Amino acid sequence: MEIPYEVTPRRDTGLFNAKLGIWLFLASEVMLFGGLFSSYVYLRVGVHTGVDNPWPWGLNVHENFVYLGFLNTLVLILSSVLVVFAWVSLKERSWRKFQIYMYGVVACAVIFMGVKSVEYYSKLKLHHGIKLVDDSVLEGRIVDNSDRIEFEGKKVSLNLSGGLPAFLSDIRAEKYPVFTVEGTEQKLKSVGQVKAWFLNAVRVARSEIAEERIRYRSEKVAFDKAEAFKQGSGKTPETVAQGLEKRHFKSAAVLVAESPFKMAANPRKLVMHNAKSLSYKDAVSVEGKLINDAVKFIVHKVDLQLVLPVNQRNSLAWKIVGEDGKKQFFDEQKVQYQHLLQYYKGKPIPERMMRGYILNLQKVHVGGHSEKGSVAAEHQAATAGEAEHGEAHHAGGKTHEETVVTVPRDQIKFMSAHSPRYGTYYAIYFTMTALHGLHVVGGALVLLFFVVFGKKLYLKDPEHLANRVEVGGLFWHFVDLIWIFLFPAMYLL
Amino acid sequence: MADTTEDLAKKKKAFLTVGVLLFIFTFIALALGKWSVLDFGPPGATGEDILTALIAAAVKASLVGLVFMHLSHEKGVIYKILLFSFFFFMGLMILTIFTQKDPILEQFDTLKTTSGALLQKPE
Repeated sequence: MEIPYEVTPRRDTGLFNAKLGIWLFLASEVMLFGGLFSSYVYLRVGVHTGVDNPWPWGLNVHENFVYLGFLNTLVLILSSVLVVFAWVSLKERSWRKFQIYMYGVVACAVIFMGVKSVEYYSKLKLHHGIKLVDDSVLEGRIVDNSDRIEFEGKKVSLNLSGGLPAFLSDIRAEKYPVFTVEGTEQKLKSVGQVKAWFLNAVRVARSEIAEERIRYRSEKVAFDKAEAFKQGSGKTPETVAQGLEKRHFKSAAVLVAESPFKMAANPRKLVMHNAKSLSYKDAVSVEGKLINDAVKFIVHKVDLQLVLPVNQRNSLAWKIVGEDGKKQFFDEQKVQYQHLLQYYKGKPIPERMMRGYILNLQKVHVGGHSEKGSVAAEHQAATAGEAEHGEAHHAGGKTHEETVVTVPRDQIKFMSAHSPRYGTYYAIYFTMTALHGLHVVGGALVLLFFVVFGKKLYLKDPEHLANRVEVGGLFWHFVDLIWIFLFPAMYLL
Repeated sequence: MADTTEDLAKKKKAFLTVGVLLFIFTFIALALGKWSVLDFGPPGATGEDILTALIAAAVKASLVGLVFMHLSHEKGVIYKILLFSFFFFMGLMILTIFTQKDPILEQFDTLKTTSGALLQKPE
């Protein structure tokens, strides 16, 4: 039986079924993205209170992101044009043209997601920010893995529960350490042996505890029924409890290394660390000696939006970045202040402008200036052969030698890549663009289905397929519409 | 209800024209956003910049909606559905604006009643 009104429109609405359905769906999607846009507005307007990490106004983080967003906009517009042309091709009864246009749409979707992946990778892996204890922020990039804590371990106390201990993946010894299980003669010579021993020990501990629970339960039942008294066993509540306490459950173990082993501990897995121990979140602690916990960082920008103007000249950032960077920053601040004076022409300058990014967010080319007694900027020699210099992309597309600064761990309040946890901008950015990206993927899959499997329907009833493609195209245009608003909101403003 | 060849040719021309216009408006939006020579006021996003960006986005969205999504000649029931969406969306945005401007609590800042009469400040 044919479903009515799949091709012929209904007399009352003048629409075929799918068209009414898709518009109802798009109306709900308006509210979905509307809710997220209103969250964006709320976060954006409230950011000047300075409580959160600073907003990267106009995506000054990296200008190239704007051009990637611009490229994505052009790709989506092109795909919108191609999808309507695909629909017209079906109306013209040209299957070949339809295939070309529709495959073009899918290709545009793939390009869009590819560009988005590049953007996401860059934000999540190549750009970092460090907030110091005085709320000044250094933006740039952590030198590979230098955010890890270098430690020399000797003894590991393990909790025999849960999954494999996290410290195993942090061992960096050239030759894997040989561990002895304390209280036994057992030696573990490889990571495989440690894992196997651990899993077995956890299983044994769990089964012993499980057995004891069963025993305790049956004893308790008997006691509650006063069987013990009736049978004159002499047991009392106190003796039963004491009996249980005397049993020792092996819930912890200690591994002792024959010689100290090097570790590069991931700080995200740690609860705390000090000069003599590391404490992991999974209740493992490693005793030994701290080698180095400072972070090597390539500074592109200093952000003092959260630092009161009276405290800016004495900010901790300058002890790390050096006097050259400080001079550059305040010279640029004077220039920006003149712009503001000119714009406001004698009227008072709003406080949000004085605290905002125009004055207090500057790109710095970090120069070298050693200071005794505190960690200082290390200016790497421009000559080849010296360690640790790389290339940075400047705003104008030129490259220059990057300078690595060392930031002591105790001066770091917060450190992260430009991921959702960094601040509200990135949180809302990733939420909205990722949800939009999922819509792009979903829409592309539907359109791909039409072109791959639609020939049969085209031969049977081409108008029906044209209606389906029109409806799929409506969804695609909606996705394009969302991006038309998302691009300026996230990238330009 | 098959469209004639001329109708389809006209549609294709319209779609192509709108596509080109969308490209142009995107370039304009980028220029306004990135190139300081076109920046209104101090650098960065001020009220004028946000308004300009929103207007540019609205123009592009209108072109997509009216031409690509056929809203210029759609049936009445679609407009009724979208009207619902519009009211709910505007309600959402107004609620968001209220987070910054609270007409109920404002009277305690300025000691005005909601009808505007000034109250005597307590000693």
